[in-house]
Amino acid sequence: MAKKAPRLKLARSLDRSLVVIFVAGLSLAAMEWALLPVAGPIGHVMMLFPVVTVVYLLAGVRAWHRRPGNRLGALILFGGFAVFLGGMGNGDIPVFVAASTIGATLILAVIVHMLHAFPSGRLKGRLSKVTVSAAYMNSLLLQAPGYLFRTDPAAPFLFIADSPSVAALARMLQVWVGVVVMAATAFVLIRRLVQADPGQRRVLIPLFAYGSLAALFVPLSTQVLTPLLGMNMESQAALQLMVLGGIPIAFGHGMLRGGFAKTGELEELGSWLGASGGTRSALAAALVRALGDPTATLSFWLPRQGVFVNEDGTPVPSVAQSTNRGQEEIMVGSRKVGAIGYDTTVIEDPALIRAAGQVVAIAVDRERLTVELRESYGALQRSRERLVDAADRERRRIARDLHDGLQMQLVLLALEAQQLAKSPGSDAGTVERATHLRRGIDSAAAELRQLVHAVMPAALIERGLAAAAEDLIDRMPIPTTLELELDDGSCPSAVERTAYFVLAEALSNALKHSHATQIQVQLKIVEGWLHMEVCDDGTGGADLLAGTGIRGIGDRVDVQGGFFELASAPGEGTRIKVELPCA
Amino acid sequence: MRVVIGEDEALLRHGLQLVLEGGGFEVVAAASDAVELERAVGLHLPELVITDIRMPPSHSDEGLRAALRLRAKHPEIAVVVLSQHMQSRYAKELLSSSNGKVGYLLKQRIADVDTFLGQLRDVAAGGMALDPDVVALMVARAKRSNGAIRELTPRQQEVLALMAEGRSNSRIAAELFLSEKAVVQHTSRIYDSLNLALDGESHRRVLAVMHYLSDN
Repeated sequence: MAKKAPRLKLARSLDRSLVVIFVAGLSLAAMEWALLPVAGPIGHVMMLFPVVTVVYLLAGVRAWHRRPGNRLGALILFGGFAVFLGGMGNGDIPVFVAASTIGATLILAVIVHMLHAFPSGRLKGRLSKVTVSAAYMNSLLLQAPGYLFRTDPAAPFLFIADSPSVAALARMLQVWVGVVVMAATAFVLIRRLVQADPGQRRVLIPLFAYGSLAALFVPLSTQVLTPLLGMNMESQAALQLMVLGGIPIAFGHGMLRGGFAKTGELEELGSWLGASGGTRSALAAALVRALGDPTATLSFWLPRQGVFVNEDGTPVPSVAQSTNRGQEEIMVGSRKVGAIGYDTTVIEDPALIRAAGQVVAIAVDRERLTVELRESYGALQRSRERLVDAADRERRRIARDLHDGLQMQLVLLALEAQQLAKSPGSDAGTVERATHLRRGIDSAAAELRQLVHAVMPAALIERGLAAAAEDLIDRMPIPTTLELELDDGSCPSAVERTAYFVLAEALSNALKHSHATQIQVQLKIVEGWLHMEVCDDGTGGADLLAGTGIRGIGDRVDVQGGFFELASAPGEGTRIKVELPCA
Repeated sequence: MRVVIGEDEALLRHGLQLVLEGGGFEVVAAASDAVELERAVGLHLPELVITDIRMPPSHSDEGLRAALRLRAKHPEIAVVVLSQHMQSRYAKELLSSSNGKVGYLLKQRIADVDTFLGQLRDVAAGGMALDPDVVALMVARAKRSNGAIRELTPRQQEVLALMAEGRSNSRIAAELFLSEKAVVQHTSRIYDSLNLALDGESHRRVLAVMHYLSDN
């Protein structure tokens, strides 16, 4: 299977950048620790700022490393920065306090952004873009009158003019915009949940619930917790920070658990293709890995039939517009060679799929020929099955017609001949001729019974292979043993019919050509396969190519996907072995 | 004797009815499927039921299943099953359902009216009637698998086969060109080899056949 792809230059460069970001982030957190009064009376709350910042840092770097193409990692890091900024307001360096005052509610906008952008990190749809923009505006612009036109004791140096009414108006506006933003967010998330499949829902529901609650809890806790529970400011702040600290863990985990395997660069995919030769299943697997979408599929275009087929040559249905499935065609020049199917909720940008398609195009085109061959083999196989089925159906119809029509007619005719013989006034000659006629009709009926039995024995239809095989053996004119280890109806009827006709043909060959004096038949089911063996002690020398009978056996077994073996050295008897899949 | 018939082909049902009435049987009901047959039997409680194996709705072995249910429900009613073809498995199922009072014959045998009516009377009287075709199948199988049967002389095997068909000693004697006394000797040797207890004659015949089949 697929080798582990080597990390390429670009990927290693990304790794180094992430290390730098991580170290820088750690330094910031350390600086915050140093500047905040962690040894003071509310030190345990102050400590939480750098700690939560580091949690964001770890989660963000991990997500970015695991999925370089996904923007969620960067967004989590940005959230970490917002938490850092919020904490710096508690120090006493004016420039940091000012920055902290300006960005005090930035983290709320980032959480809303994450909720809308999950799982790809990109905003999808105009409503999401507008809502997230409104959230940022609310947290940065509408926050401003609060410190510009009102004396904020924490940052008095930002004060411009005293205008409490403007500050109050801005405050009210901020609350209302916040309500609208959260309502729009709830609407978007619920709509996504409805469209998601059950597997995705398991990840999305807890994540959305937690994210939404966190976004509501942080601004509302002051109004709710303090009056209701009498919680003091410190505990409240600690609780807020812990709730915020859960956010990066939830999003990072949700992103990785949601089936977003580690994404390699397309470059990696290309180099891997060159190394492995791009065998069939490996090609699709590599694509899944590279795109980070476990549901990604590769299909091949068959121009003659005008359909997309999968690796086995089975036609794949076209993508319905309403679902979350997207499809991008793979082209070589202007020629369509295949398509990549993907989950539009995981991969928002079709350009990524198109780029992947260009990388694999040549390999897909090469693979397409094999798939085409496989498809035509499949079609041939299905056609053969239909032929065998049609032949069996026809046999059944003939047997039934003979049974319902001719056999009954013969009974009635014989009855009439008998009545003629018994009618009063018949002379001796008439009686004798009528009785003779009845016997003649009886023997014709006996021959007809044999014919019907040979065409399609009633036991096979009514009771199955075991009963029919017993019946067949009972009618053998030479000693024949039957070792039977199967119940009636333990195999599909098409398989049972095949086994029966193969047995009938083998027995009739043994009788007609091999001068056998005894025959052994074995029928049993082993691990879902029907095994049949017919051995005789005759002259041997049966040739697979000589008689149509034996060749017919081989063909029928082949159609059912079974194995057929003939051993018939001259003078050593004949042994026919057949195995048929019963599942 | 009161009879209920089960046969889905109208022409044959009519023909069978004529044959029976010509032989002094009273046909109290003629059903065209298995459900109707069972209902008619429950209603009339005849002495004899004659039914086709293949009947609507499934055109499979409906008649046989109905016959087996009737045997279980009304052991006093004799049942003769008719078919276009013989299967030893069906014979076995019928025979294991009872000690006598059953028959399994090819439809074609109806035309040999006298023999057919005689067999019906035998069955109604507690005997049994198996078609020579199915007896031949059973003999073949018994020879393959049952030591006791294999040890019988060819002549004894012939006699056993005719017994299984439900023939009387005199009929067996006529068929095999033997004296009746010789047939009696053969039958007693057969009983000995199969280890059958001495009992009423007709019952022993049934037992002999049962033994014959149960070992296969």
